[in-house]
Amino acid sequence: MRKFLFSVLLVGVLILSTVAIAKENALEIFSWWTGGGEEEGLQALFKLFHKYYPDVKIINAAVAGGAGTNAKAVLKTRMLGGNPPDSFQVHAGMELIDTYVIPGMMEPITWILKDMGALDKFPKAILDICSYKGEVYSIPVNVHRANVVFYNKRIASEIGMEEPPQTWHQFVYYLRKAHEKGYVGLALGDKNKWTSLHLFESLMLAELGPEAYNGLWKNKTSFNNTGIKRALEIMKEMLQYVNSDHAAMTWQDAVRLVFEGKALATVMGDWAEGYLKTLGWKPGVEFGWFAVPGTQDAFMVVSDTFGLPKGAPHRENAIRWLKLIASVEAQDIFNPIKGSIPARLDADKSKYDVYLKWSMNDFATKYLTPSIIHGSAAPESFATALMDAINSFVSTRNVDKTFKEIIMIAEDNGYLTK
Amino acid sequence: MRAKKEIIIGILIALPSIIAIAIFVYGFIFWTVRVSMSNWNSFSALIRGQYHFVGLRNYIRLFQDDRFITDLWNTLFFTLFFLLGSIALGLILAVLVDTGLKGSQLFQNIYLFPMAVAFVVTGTVWGWIFAPGIIPNDPQGVNLLFKQLGLEKLIWGWYTSTDHIGTFNLALIPVIIAAVWQMSGYTMAMYLAGLRSIPQDIEEAARVDGASSWQVFWRIKFPLLKPITFSALIILGHISLKIFDLVFAMTGSGPNFVTDMPSIYMFELTFRSNRYARGSAIAIIMLLMVAVVIIPYLVSSMKEEVRR
Amino acid sequence: MAEVRLEHVWKIYDNGVEAVKDATFTVEDKEFVVLLGPSGCGKTTTLRMIAGLEEITKGTIYIDGKVVNDVEPKDRDIAMVFQNYALYPHMTVYENMAFGLRLRKFPKAEIDKRVKEAARILGIENLLDRKPRQLSGGQRQRVAVGRAIVRNPKVFLFDEPLSNLDAKLRVQMRAELKKLHHRLEATIVYVTHDQVEAMTMANKIVVIKDGVIQQIGDPHTIYNKPANKFVAGFIGSPPMNFINAKIIRGEGGLWVQTSGFKVKVPKEYEDALADYIDKDVTFGIRPENIYDKMFAYAPTPENTITGMVDVVEPLGSETILHVKVGDDLITAKVDPKTKAQEGQNIDLVLDMERMHVFDPETEKAVI
Repeated sequence: MRKFLFSVLLVGVLILSTVAIAKENALEIFSWWTGGGEEEGLQALFKLFHKYYPDVKIINAAVAGGAGTNAKAVLKTRMLGGNPPDSFQVHAGMELIDTYVIPGMMEPITWILKDMGALDKFPKAILDICSYKGEVYSIPVNVHRANVVFYNKRIASEIGMEEPPQTWHQFVYYLRKAHEKGYVGLALGDKNKWTSLHLFESLMLAELGPEAYNGLWKNKTSFNNTGIKRALEIMKEMLQYVNSDHAAMTWQDAVRLVFEGKALATVMGDWAEGYLKTLGWKPGVEFGWFAVPGTQDAFMVVSDTFGLPKGAPHRENAIRWLKLIASVEAQDIFNPIKGSIPARLDADKSKYDVYLKWSMNDFATKYLTPSIIHGSAAPESFATALMDAINSFVSTRNVDKTFKEIIMIAEDNGYLTK
Repeated sequence: MRAKKEIIIGILIALPSIIAIAIFVYGFIFWTVRVSMSNWNSFSALIRGQYHFVGLRNYIRLFQDDRFITDLWNTLFFTLFFLLGSIALGLILAVLVDTGLKGSQLFQNIYLFPMAVAFVVTGTVWGWIFAPGIIPNDPQGVNLLFKQLGLEKLIWGWYTSTDHIGTFNLALIPVIIAAVWQMSGYTMAMYLAGLRSIPQDIEEAARVDGASSWQVFWRIKFPLLKPITFSALIILGHISLKIFDLVFAMTGSGPNFVTDMPSIYMFELTFRSNRYARGSAIAIIMLLMVAVVIIPYLVSSMKEEVRR
Repeated sequence: MAEVRLEHVWKIYDNGVEAVKDATFTVEDKEFVVLLGPSGCGKTTTLRMIAGLEEITKGTIYIDGKVVNDVEPKDRDIAMVFQNYALYPHMTVYENMAFGLRLRKFPKAEIDKRVKEAARILGIENLLDRKPRQLSGGQRQRVAVGRAIVRNPKVFLFDEPLSNLDAKLRVQMRAELKKLHHRLEATIVYVTHDQVEAMTMANKIVVIKDGVIQQIGDPHTIYNKPANKFVAGFIGSPPMNFINAKIIRGEGGLWVQTSGFKVKVPKEYEDALADYIDKDVTFGIRPENIYDKMFAYAPTPENTITGMVDVVEPLGSETILHVKVGDDLITAKVDPKTKAQEGQNIDLVLDMERMHVFDPETEKAVI
């Protein structure tokens, strides 16, 4: 009898304590920032938060692995189970809108930006990407640019590439010259499949132009148009100058080819810039960059954002967090560490290196377009289906077949195909 | 009276396991079948919770899907050559170790060691080994070795190659090599135990009867190893039908899905594309494939029990 | 001609153990020779060397006049029956017996004829479709013999084939094997530790101890004229009595004096014992050569002893008495009608014609 009472007591205490913890003054931040500069940047944000709110206990619910695939899966389970974190990292755009906003699981937070007077401190285009039916649902913290070519300056001068090529013909011309000299023209590492779509979406952007490209996602532009077909043809031509073992390489391996002087250039988001710096190169010294030819007037956005889930356990602290990361101070602490640029236009440029300055300039002035493969333009099912189609294309090089496939995928996902 | 009590106690002891299996195995299988016959192919459909029964539509779509058909062929050829390779190599190694020459104990451990390595590690390292490099100027890995040995003719794309013989994708060859490397130690250990359990006088009787070493092996020992061969086929067979981490770590889906497997497709559909119903359908198909292999095994080993 | 000859054959293992030392003997054509000895004496090793399953360290083995030291077992034209039968578990009885012939590419008809013939001889025709696990011990043993017979080899080698059978079956099989020997007119080398098998079946017995051949001879000789104490004690059941004694001169000649009795040496043995007068010897007499005085032919004071009965073992056909005489316990096999009782004295008569004397150091037989 005594034993029984004791165990009842024990269970009671345990239950009470978990309730107590739940009501604790805490903030749970969910992300997949677990490596290198990302983790450092996150910790710096936490430190900044503590400066203002020292009594709040920060719970770092980061999930490692799979470039976010694991984290996304865990997040889905939690959201479904009614156990959301206070705020979570999510790519700007459809990754959030389609998954959580449309089913009504997120609170609109336009008012937070209004309260801070920060609505006009972000490019309208990026807030548009983060919006649904006129309300902003997440706040962008950092911005990467996807449509960049990074190249080896030594090889470039060897083949006579003094100026960045403006058109495809020029670019292919230099790729061929590099090939003739025994170099790989364009380094590609599509073992994980997404990089070939990363390349293709910039080609789509080049052939459609930013307005038409944006229209694809608003059901204003039809997928059944020659621009997309031309993009496939250009890609087919470029594939001739791609390293033959691309299927065995990751994007880092491809960047390494440029670093080791085996390849002229690679098309990659500017996290490749951070990678080249860790390898020891300096921007503008050993490597140069330019926008993917044909997309000089556009900035393909890859951005991490944070939102406010309904039923956040510590809503007050979550709002504080969102206000913090929307501030210049936080963005200028986080981004130099991570190697990206702030989403705010009034950042302190002196904190950023020469490449990032170039990027910030373009961010402020060029057309912003959402990336498909990085979760902004379209729901995941569309992105992965397109990724598979392009991946096949890299092998089959069958323009007509892939074009038809793209139209079918667009149709399946409710886009315009007339 | 006593017997009845013992029966009741027996049932009570087994009851927690029975309940756990009923829920977590059969319950979940049933649920997966249910999902596979639904329209839950996006996260919002899942959230809205509206379940529409669509019958076998997901299954039919799968069999119209080029990628899935490729997956099935890949599984078939991978399983076939993996089983052949592991059993043949395991048998050869067992016979060699059994000769009892100097150092055979050391070799036995060396051959068995790969089994201790996780498939992910195996896949990653063999992925590096077989990474072809840029042909012809800058070969890497095995290709580099060939070049240095003057065997340039042997250089090819390995798992980046989209070459095929009929529906057999040659890119599977390096994957098969890695898998056989990993598991032939296991078959070797099983065969070694089997060989050692064959009484020596049977071998001697065969020698006196006039059998050469080869004949002793092929006509006496190998037939007596049949139960082990059967066991190995079943165990390796169901591993290879479900193979995921080795292929995922080593090659991913491969160019044009030459090394894609149903498990990888299922993983991507469910956890990347949010197409839960489609992914569940693949899971059920995989379950059926494995059942085809395992059920005869269970039936025959239950018959053995009854006979005893 | 199927003669097997061993000349100075040795088997020394890598670790230095000498399993067989300087074995020399001949198995004549059609002879049934038994290698007899206790466990570990080297008899099986010798057999395996003849078979070719064991390498010969030194010496030469001839089969049918040809040196076979380096010849493979399958080329020696021998067949072997193993102690555990060594039947192929996955083959039927028929296939087991046919295996050797199939290997040698005999025509099917011939194989069939031989297998059926052998099966008939051994009475196992109705078992041809069974697998070994479905057979009893005795049946398996016959199949093993059958497998050897079909090969029609020059020499049959048997390695303790009856030791796994129960006693009754063993008696039956002994007779059958003997009949088989006559029928096949085969040369047989047979290994056993059972001296009854040796005595009943052998033409010639080779007694081995610790790798050394103790004596070679026909059963009669081995029994009546054992070359040494070991052979004398190994053959015969119950074993020969060994009593410490002294040879002394006494009335009318030589006497054997033990702690408990004194018996007279027959005249014909006196010369042989000349060197042992007043010396210690081992006196040997078999239990079956000791009689209850009541049933003895010619009891005299010179061959009669008295002792106290310790144990009486009635076997029905005879009675075994354990009798204490002096310091020694003597075993006697007497007429079953004996009135001997435990705790009582008894007079026993020794058949001194059948006495044995062994040198106490060399253990060799003097008489």
